[in-house]
Amino acid sequence: MSKAKKKAKQKEEWTPELLVFCCNWCSYAGADLAGVSRFQYPPNMRIIRVMCSGRVDPTFVLKALKDGADGVLITGCHIGDCHYISGNEYTRDRFKKLHEIIIKQLGIDGKRVRLEWVSASEGKRFADLITEFTNQIKELGPLKVF
Amino acid sequence: MRNLLKRCYQCGRCSGVCQLSKVQKYTPSKIIQLILEGFEDKVIESGVLWDCLTCNQCLKDCPEEINFADIVRMARWKMRHIANQNPDELIAHKGMYTTISEIMSRPYIQPERSLDWVSKGCKISDKGTTLYYVGCLPYFNYEFENSDSIAKSTLKILCQIENEPIVVFKDEICCGHDIYWGQGKLKTFIKLGKKNMEMFEKAGISKIVTACAECYRTFKVDYPGIFDDFNDKFEVKHIIEFIYDNWKQNKIKFKNPSESSERIPFTYHDPCRLSRFLPKDNNITEKTREIFKEFKRLGYDFKEMEHNKKNSLCCGVSSWMNCNEKSKALRYKRMLEAKAAGDIMLTSCPKCKIHLSCLQDDFEDIASIEIMDFSEFLVDHIEIINPDKDTEITE
Repeated sequence: MSKAKKKAKQKEEWTPELLVFCCNWCSYAGADLAGVSRFQYPPNMRIIRVMCSGRVDPTFVLKALKDGADGVLITGCHIGDCHYISGNEYTRDRFKKLHEIIIKQLGIDGKRVRLEWVSASEGKRFADLITEFTNQIKELGPLKVF
Repeated sequence: MRNLLKRCYQCGRCSGVCQLSKVQKYTPSKIIQLILEGFEDKVIESGVLWDCLTCNQCLKDCPEEINFADIVRMARWKMRHIANQNPDELIAHKGMYTTISEIMSRPYIQPERSLDWVSKGCKISDKGTTLYYVGCLPYFNYEFENSDSIAKSTLKILCQIENEPIVVFKDEICCGHDIYWGQGKLKTFIKLGKKNMEMFEKAGISKIVTACAECYRTFKVDYPGIFDDFNDKFEVKHIIEFIYDNWKQNKIKFKNPSESSERIPFTYHDPCRLSRFLPKDNNITEKTREIFKEFKRLGYDFKEMEHNKKNSLCCGVSSWMNCNEKSKALRYKRMLEAKAAGDIMLTSCPKCKIHLSCLQDDFEDIASIEIMDFSEFLVDHIEIINPDKDTEITE
């Protein structure tokens, strides 16, 4: 980003920048459904599609926070619905550890990193979830990592 | 870089002793010659120097004392910033711990580390003269269970010996060793250093004790290189030195709590940062040996491994770079030596402990060796000598 752009951005009102990891089989389809059904949700987030929520390494989350994301949301299929049978169970266990041991000890608010299950039929829920998460991050303010 | 290498007369000793050259094609002398002949750009472009273990064996045997590890460090900076190479694939654990260090270098981040590992009898405070610098141990808990037991036992030792409460920071940040050596991110390292200096000064620290070999080397050698007055302000000690000094001053003595008559053989793995990476007048390896000699009286048998002291083999990974089958081969070699020497293997670098014990899951024949940190081993073997009872000392 050029300097002029950065300055222009600073003058505007701050909006959070969120990163959402969606699994290919449930959550991404859920996001799709939200779009097709024209549910409105805030546009501050970027979606990264992964084949399974088990693909999301804790390092991805940390790197996102390091490089300027104000919040990270990981979404996957409900437990038991995973396309790869047990991928999301790994995510659940790993995420719990990440939350307790690393995010907390780094002094970053635990609310900024979240794990949710969204299935392909829950378009409405996806839209609501993004709205709620965005509002939550707005309340917390920017994560000043720079 | 060329000026540093001019003394090289291509004896090729570095390529002979290089620990990495035993498992892959890697020749420091050839790289030096290439740089001297003006092909520095090609060396940088090829990215071959990401592979270096930075174990410093080449400096130890170099007749002209060319510091190749320093060259590697500088080259890594150039590879990242000038050749725009990204070594993310090469970093062990997908760069998790180096990312943590980088996040900590940012000015607004204030870590809130859990102090669950502090045992009940220990007094700790925010301000004082003696600091116990824990390092990254609480974060290692993410993948390696029970890694803060090193911190626990070190603090126990410190509390027993010192009367005043020990300073342990809740918002302690990384020393920056891995960023400096492995990643070539000099700016981040300086940021971390400045933040650390400020914290130490604020708390009124005069003595820093650490149980990590890497933190020790960073504070002892690398920080004074950047901050001229670091050495005047703070005295840096490894827990081995701390115990040794107190033992020589007759403040503590060693005991053996178990009463079995069987002699237990044990051995010691010298981390590179404590053996080859320190200035020559630093004799911490000898101090360690003296303590172990004392243990012979207590029913332990100290045996040296085949490669020991300044020749000790590398654990295969330094500063979280390149954990692959080659480094595993190096580690396996080290573990076989340990197996020949004793049942217990001590080390004084938490990362060596992690790397070596990780391999035990893969190979059954070496699983029987117990790998312990120096402080974990000593915590039960220390007895305080009460200054009022002089008779005990003479006994």
